[in-house]
Amino acid sequence: MKSISLYVNKDTFLTRMHPFTKFLYIAAAISISLISGRMRTFCLFIGISFALLISGKIVRKVFPLIAFSFTILITIFLIHGLFHDGNVTPLFSVGPLRFYREGIVYAAKIGLNILNMLLAFAVFVLTTKPAELVEDLERIGFSPKFGYIVSSVFQIIPQMSQTMNTILDAQRSRGMETEGSLITRAKSFLPLISPVVMSSLINTRERALALEIRGFEAKQKRTYLREDKMKASDRALCIVMTAAIAGAIVWRVAAYVLY
Amino acid sequence: MKKIFYTKFNAATLVLIPACIGINYLGKLFAQLLKLPLWLDSIGTCIGGVLGGPIIGAVCGAANNLIYGFTTGDSITLIYALTSFGIGLAVGIMARLGLMKKFGGALLTAVVAGLAAVAISTPLNCIFWGGTTGNIWGDALFTATQAAGMPVAIGSFLDEVVVDVPDKVITLIVVFAIVKGLPNKLISLYEGNEKIESLD
Repeated sequence: MKSISLYVNKDTFLTRMHPFTKFLYIAAAISISLISGRMRTFCLFIGISFALLISGKIVRKVFPLIAFSFTILITIFLIHGLFHDGNVTPLFSVGPLRFYREGIVYAAKIGLNILNMLLAFAVFVLTTKPAELVEDLERIGFSPKFGYIVSSVFQIIPQMSQTMNTILDAQRSRGMETEGSLITRAKSFLPLISPVVMSSLINTRERALALEIRGFEAKQKRTYLREDKMKASDRALCIVMTAAIAGAIVWRVAAYVLY
Repeated sequence: MKKIFYTKFNAATLVLIPACIGINYLGKLFAQLLKLPLWLDSIGTCIGGVLGGPIIGAVCGAANNLIYGFTTGDSITLIYALTSFGIGLAVGIMARLGLMKKFGGALLTAVVAGLAAVAISTPLNCIFWGGTTGNIWGDALFTATQAAGMPVAIGSFLDEVVVDVPDKVITLIVVFAIVKGLPNKLISLYEGNEKIESLD
């Protein structure tokens, strides 16, 4: 069964790093670049993220993610380059279309922000096992019920996709059309989705009973499968990144007050 | 007076949340498979809202986007956790007010949910995407408004309205059809205002 998580099982320093350290990196990359508001900072963090991904040997997995948001980035460049509100200075023209400097700069800022977020998240997502993340969250005080919700999503979705394929085949073999005009395709939506949804909702009843029998609502303190592994290097990195975020805020406020 | 926000946090409602997140995922998958120009990715959130009430609906919506954001690398959906939260809450409140019992009420719920989504998404679109939504029809309209020299906020608002309201109408028609077909023994697990009769 195909998992929906993008975790790549490779033993690198990034996968060994504590999830919270990587999480703080996301926070630092996004907040520092937004606080400073300069294109240079965005580029710096995009560079750092790329360096991390390359050293973690997972950079190839990032390109499909970037390609996914590429179409929307192109739309943003087209719309704002052509029709942005403050467009004055023509930059270049392709045939009858004239692109303006202000719009392109505006679009570039949005694009860099998106790319920065995407890469920072990729560092986290590609190297963190969902089960480990859930366990670490429970350790700092999240309810085990919350942990159950998150980890069962990963079990339920592959199951549902399998059911979905079965139903798709079943309905097609009964002669239902899933290709053709928009109306034909729209008409097939309900007969496809309702059996899967019905069966999965009916299954929840059995699952709830099974969980209650196994002491799901017990109030005792839970124990963990793995040991806590916040290492000295993790702590040091956390301190550095928190200091960097604080530094960015101080710098921005100081710049605002002084000028 | 029924308790609108009354929520049971037992095993049954907690199991409902992952199931609803799975349903959201399936809706999106089928919409892509059939190349429909709508998202249809909030069917589960709406079912959660109808069965478990506003709190469960909101939790379903927010958890949905947060889980996908943190595990599938789709960091864009992360910001829209707020929108899903609003949709779940709106549908839950409408359902607890008894509007999901008739088809007309379901349509009204759809409009309310659609407008809630528009109200929350528009500022997010403006901040993060410069107003676009990523849907072909909506973005075409957005381009037209920008070409006509209208402000980004209004263009983005119209962009969201033409996509979100029809999307929620279809979603809630599907939800209405599904919930009508569910067995009563399942629905009674989540009912907030039942009376327990004692035999002795």
